[in-house]
Amino acid sequence: MTAATAAIEPGSGRRMADALAPGGRMALLVLTLGAILLLFLGPAVILVVTSLRPGWAVYYIYRGTAFTVQNYLEVFARPAVVHAFINSFVLATLATLFSLGVTITSGYMLSRFRGPIPRTWFGTIYLFRTVPYISWVLPLYLVDYYLGIYDTYVGILLPHIAVHICFFSWIMKGFFDGIDPSMEYAALIDGCTRWGAFLRVALPSAVPAITALAILSWLYTWNEFLFALILTGHNTAMITVTMAQFVTELGTQWNLMSAMAVLAMGPAVLVTVFAQKYVIRGLRI
Amino acid sequence: MARVALEQIGKMYGAVPAVIDLDLEIEDEEFVVLVGPSGCGKSTTLRLVAGLEDVSSGTIRIGERVVNRLPPKDRDIAMVFQNYALYQHMTVYDNLAFGLRNRRTGEAVIGQEIARAAEILGIGNLLKRKPRELSGGQQQRVALGRCIVRHPQVFLFDEPLSNLDAELRAHMRIELKRLRERIAVTSMYVTHDQVEAMTLGDRVAVMRDGRIQQVGTPLEIYNRPKNRFVAGFIGAPAMNFLEVRLEDAGGELYAVAPGFRIRVPSERAGLRNFSGDRALLLGVRPEHTLLGEPKPEHGTGFDALVEVTEQLGAELLLGVRAAGRTLIASRIDPETELAPHAPVRMSLDPRGLHFFDGATGEALR
Repeated sequence: MTAATAAIEPGSGRRMADALAPGGRMALLVLTLGAILLLFLGPAVILVVTSLRPGWAVYYIYRGTAFTVQNYLEVFARPAVVHAFINSFVLATLATLFSLGVTITSGYMLSRFRGPIPRTWFGTIYLFRTVPYISWVLPLYLVDYYLGIYDTYVGILLPHIAVHICFFSWIMKGFFDGIDPSMEYAALIDGCTRWGAFLRVALPSAVPAITALAILSWLYTWNEFLFALILTGHNTAMITVTMAQFVTELGTQWNLMSAMAVLAMGPAVLVTVFAQKYVIRGLRI
Repeated sequence: MARVALEQIGKMYGAVPAVIDLDLEIEDEEFVVLVGPSGCGKSTTLRLVAGLEDVSSGTIRIGERVVNRLPPKDRDIAMVFQNYALYQHMTVYDNLAFGLRNRRTGEAVIGQEIARAAEILGIGNLLKRKPRELSGGQQQRVALGRCIVRHPQVFLFDEPLSNLDAELRAHMRIELKRLRERIAVTSMYVTHDQVEAMTLGDRVAVMRDGRIQQVGTPLEIYNRPKNRFVAGFIGAPAMNFLEVRLEDAGGELYAVAPGFRIRVPSERAGLRNFSGDRALLLGVRPEHTLLGEPKPEHGTGFDALVEVTEQLGAELLLGVRAAGRTLIASRIDPETELAPHAPVRMSLDPRGLHFFDGATGEALR
């Protein structure tokens, strides 16, 4: 920044970085970015390298040149892993599909309507969000157990739908807050019912938001560990739990665990590459 | 086409009244403008007529029908919004067709109606575009088109020009007038801009604090304001107000303030009842505040000091100090040389004197 622009923007003169010479500022920027990259990219790199090493070499990932894809083949040879992937995929997809219906409408209600029902609903999900997540697990286990749905799809699906609704209704409310309601008023006058205005005008305008929400919901369930650990057994094992089972009495099979972790990262990476525009919008709210 | 009648309508938000006992009749094909400062209830009134809000009391009639309980879609109205409210995910054509399709109109008829509206509004080349690709003025035209194609009984306008820049606003104002000549529909138009109110309205209703202060033609409102609020709200530069008393001296009536004394014309003799110690407000518009010794028919003059001058080219605005107040005079010859603090003689055009009760603000006649 030159002296002239600094004079135009009086506030910027107080920034700490301005005490440095331009070269120093660049160095600071590079160092900061480097540190951030290292912090986030480093573990991923270590994970990928580990997944490509033979079992005896995982503790020396920076040495040696022995690489193999054997780990991936071995992981996929295990039926439990394949099942876990299928389970997680099905669960994440179903939970997203079922929850979206409620999330969208409840977000819309919170954004557009006042009165006792929206207030109560708001209080309910607020409560759910403020209570520590972990404290819901044990009661949910008991509920599942007494309903006889422990270790079934339904037993894990329902809690996930509930979490989606509570967590993502707020995000959906934020999206609808950003959509001008007068468009819906125009639709009401143009011959729509309240439902019609929602379905034909508000909903199509919210498609980008809904896409972002669907991705967030899906990834949430795909990545979720705690419910999967407590509420599922052998029948409906999820990837996050199955992955942890490479920790055995004989030691941790780091190479296999890494291979599975890399595979599990796949959807997240794909989403980041292809739909980041939507996801960023979702995270900003 | 239809009359619109608002009878004693009221709207409460919780315990807060937004509209209070409002009576207003709009004749068939009449264009009525609701004008007032923000928060005066004018937009709420429009939304009550549209059915976007429910009335708390009173009756709204469109034509012969009481529409209090009807949803907006059954009221046979069309509305233009301040921010256009076009359906962002549809093309202009689909925006225009939306209302007709909802009424199960055939596509052939829809095509004709849209062609007609597009021709009237000059938007024929925009039909395939999406709203976000249009300028503000173009979007406003599409919003008008959406109303025209439906042939509703009533047009409602909610500050349709306030999002446009000054030049475009003036242009669209003229277009709206032209549009009215081609399509005469009963219309209610809400604005906070008194110029729009004066230029567009067959009649103007000035609102304040949820109540209508005065309804009348633009000239009636301008020339015979019912109270101090209407007098001050309509007109730019705004009307001057002076606190005066009326003095009855030898059969003549004088408006008196410290350092200020002018004769009240004899045709205002009815004001004699208010003479004495009663505090009154004298209102006079800038164009009736005259520079120089009064003409004989203009009664008496008074002394003032020049405070500021504003050169507008076509006229000069002059601010003078008199009777402890700043009075604005307009339509002064722009070539006039006036130095600040110079003493000047001023007079008031007797036709332009308005008197208001100092306590209630009601006009005294």
